[in-house]
Amino acid sequence: MTVLLEARGIAKTYPGGTVANNGVDLTVRAGEVHAVVGENGAGKSTLMKILFGIEQPDGGELLLDGKPVHFAGAKAAINAGIGMVFQHFSLVPSFSVYENVVMGSEPRAGLRFDRSRAIAEVRALSEKFRLPVDPLPPVASIPVGQQQRVEILKALYRDARILILDEPTAVLAPQEVEELFVAVRSLVAQGRTVIFIAHKLPEVLEISDSITVMRAGRTVAQVKARDVTEQSLANLMVGREVTLKVDRAATDKSTVRLEVAGLSVDHENGTAACADIDLRLRAGEIVGLVGVEGNGQQEFMETIAGHRAATRGSAMLDGVDLLDLPVLKRRRAGLANIPQDRIAEGLAVGATLAENMAATRLSDGGFVRHGLLDRKAMKANAASLIEKFAIRAAGPDAAAGTLSGGNMQKVVVARELSEAPKVLLVSQPTRGVDLGATQFIWKTITEARDNGAAVLLSSADLSELMALSDRFLVFYHGEIVAALENDESVTPEALGAYMLGLERQTPEQIRAVSL
Amino acid sequence: MSASRSNMWKSARAEALRALTALAMALAVAFIIVLITSKSPVETFGTLLSGPMTSKRTIGLWIDDVAKLTMTGLAFSLVFQARQFSMGVQGQVYMGGLFSALVALSPIGTTAVGMPAAVLAGMAAGAFYGFIPGYAKARLGANEIVSSLMLNYIAVNLVTYLVREPLVAAPGLLSTPNFPPNTIFPALIERTRIDLGLVLALLSVAAVWFALYRTSWGLKLRLVGHNARFAEYAGIKANFIMVSAMTASGALGGLLGAMFVQGQSYGKLLVQFEGNLAFEGILIAIVAKNRPLAVPIVALFYGYLRQGALIMGIRTDVPTEVISVVQAIIILLVASSFKFGSGKLLARLRPAKPVTTTGAGA
Repeated sequence: MTVLLEARGIAKTYPGGTVANNGVDLTVRAGEVHAVVGENGAGKSTLMKILFGIEQPDGGELLLDGKPVHFAGAKAAINAGIGMVFQHFSLVPSFSVYENVVMGSEPRAGLRFDRSRAIAEVRALSEKFRLPVDPLPPVASIPVGQQQRVEILKALYRDARILILDEPTAVLAPQEVEELFVAVRSLVAQGRTVIFIAHKLPEVLEISDSITVMRAGRTVAQVKARDVTEQSLANLMVGREVTLKVDRAATDKSTVRLEVAGLSVDHENGTAACADIDLRLRAGEIVGLVGVEGNGQQEFMETIAGHRAATRGSAMLDGVDLLDLPVLKRRRAGLANIPQDRIAEGLAVGATLAENMAATRLSDGGFVRHGLLDRKAMKANAASLIEKFAIRAAGPDAAAGTLSGGNMQKVVVARELSEAPKVLLVSQPTRGVDLGATQFIWKTITEARDNGAAVLLSSADLSELMALSDRFLVFYHGEIVAALENDESVTPEALGAYMLGLERQTPEQIRAVSL
Repeated sequence: MSASRSNMWKSARAEALRALTALAMALAVAFIIVLITSKSPVETFGTLLSGPMTSKRTIGLWIDDVAKLTMTGLAFSLVFQARQFSMGVQGQVYMGGLFSALVALSPIGTTAVGMPAAVLAGMAAGAFYGFIPGYAKARLGANEIVSSLMLNYIAVNLVTYLVREPLVAAPGLLSTPNFPPNTIFPALIERTRIDLGLVLALLSVAAVWFALYRTSWGLKLRLVGHNARFAEYAGIKANFIMVSAMTASGALGGLLGAMFVQGQSYGKLLVQFEGNLAFEGILIAIVAKNRPLAVPIVALFYGYLRQGALIMGIRTDVPTEVISVVQAIIILLVASSFKFGSGKLLARLRPAKPVTTTGAGA
């Protein structure tokens, strides 16, 4: 196969001094699926932005068909036949599928937008590349997996020879991943080239022909997929041996800590987010909330945490209904919360670590006396948490925003666990966190469980749920459609069938495990 | 911890250097403008640079301005730290001045407690005037920028009406009678405008710094300013903090009003007495990055240029309009070298400078 796209010695330093790329080599051959893997912060996204013309490299060169090229912007890259599907889609939700696909280069009949030709062209494209999607409904009304197909169609409509997919599987259920892979294979069979950015290694090994491994802004290896294993790839990514398993101790699960009954929550627009949720959460266990994002599990967590009002139901923690209490009193009752977005909700990035770590306790005696801050106690608290959780930071006075994603998440985890909560809510604990920190956070949450905390875990990462949970509750369209014990018999495919609503258990089966 | 302290000094030095560079550039541009508009450019420029130092009186004018600029800078810094964009300091100054005047001109004014009573009345009126847009935002979701700006107009015009009609000293004048002498701030230096107001301004600096960095209220306020969603998540009552920050800032604005009318400068309530000084607090707050201890320092420099420009306008052939242009350029250059809020935008505008280069190359 001939080399189609080549990057040599790419370097990129962002204003502010972050070195994102420093000596990146990438050789993509025509007609292959080429995966780029690496931990968060390895510089994958920066490389892709450079390939797509959004960022300009400070050094190195790009060659397309053996000729040096320079993309001044995305438009130049598109004209050269490069298409990109971002992790966060750029679609107009209220526009129909075909309008989204052709927008910007609409077929015309005179001055008029030729809608029927647009629809026909989108249909033909979607059949040709095995990306089934109805061109007519508005994008907002179709599932995430299909929205992704619309994004891919958008690139193909502009005649992309090279398609860059940025973590395409992050938002998909296992079955949808399979469908995506079918489409990717059909693309390659028809002569297109796919660059696939990912960090879930089994998927990478399944779909790709070649793999480029990046670490700390450099290319550390380029290998054939058939020559490596999951473990050897992980070691390459991290640069040392990693273990992908957590050991769980046997715990006493006789005490019910949180009892949720008939809980219903609405979206801001008045439609139901989740309805009539019943569950019991016991000390010493982790209950994993499984579901494709947007099926009500997040709203459920936010309601328990106190950031959303319930329309009905109760959530009793040791005999007190949390739903009646403001956030601060819920925290005093023994609730802690690791929110899904550490930067938007979990931290004040401009404040110091000492301030961030004391923020949830500004109304008790620990850090405040007569309205005055006890700065010594705040600093001592931060210093001890920094040490205990191995947080890489300059010290208690460092601003939280100066830390890496993994260390920021450790700050949140450290603060939430520092008060030995009875009930711990955890959402997406390792999203955008590198493998080393992921391992640490998994271990920490498991230790909290072993010491008697009752943990509700919601995650988009199925492997994370399977590694940590004692039980699974599967959310689909705001309901619990299945409840399973986590044992050998549970497979990702089985969970996927429930996540997509293809199967559901009977109410009796659900209650047997969820309560 | 010593590492972070030395970092703090390093960044403070870097900031000071940036500000001075901007200042030098601004003065260079100002010189070019003076070169074009003045027949004797060197003398004119000299007046701009040395004007405030020419006499005891002009030094007094400068320091009096510094005290007032410090107050308005503090008032804006406080609301900006809570990320509330209340623009109401001007209105609070007028309401503060009005209520100080009402107390000073009442029978209480002639008693021994006349002066402090008038100051407190001004602060209370300003606080209430700052509370209104805060409460309206918390309860009704009213945008604080709009409501505070509208309240400014009401206050300015209310004072104008009251001074011209019911409170006027004699028909046709634009001021109230003089306040009783015991309500007027004593001068710290004879026959200058430097008076008790300067002391109040410096005390306010200390008080605001202490409130922001040493009390739990201040930490909550800053956390709300950094990230309101995080504050809610941590169980902080963001609305209460917001309203109380705007109220406290209003009290500072009201105090500034009292400093105007009870100071050596006036000793009475006048129409338009504030002369658009209140809004200049926004610039001071931005350049000081909303940090109370930096506010008086910025005010010192800014007040000097402001006074120099005014004196240049009076003593030379350069028209005052040009002075405004020069002032605006100085502000533009100084402010654009500073971050406001998160500063992401400005960080992007700055040229890339690698801090670390790993490994070989380059």
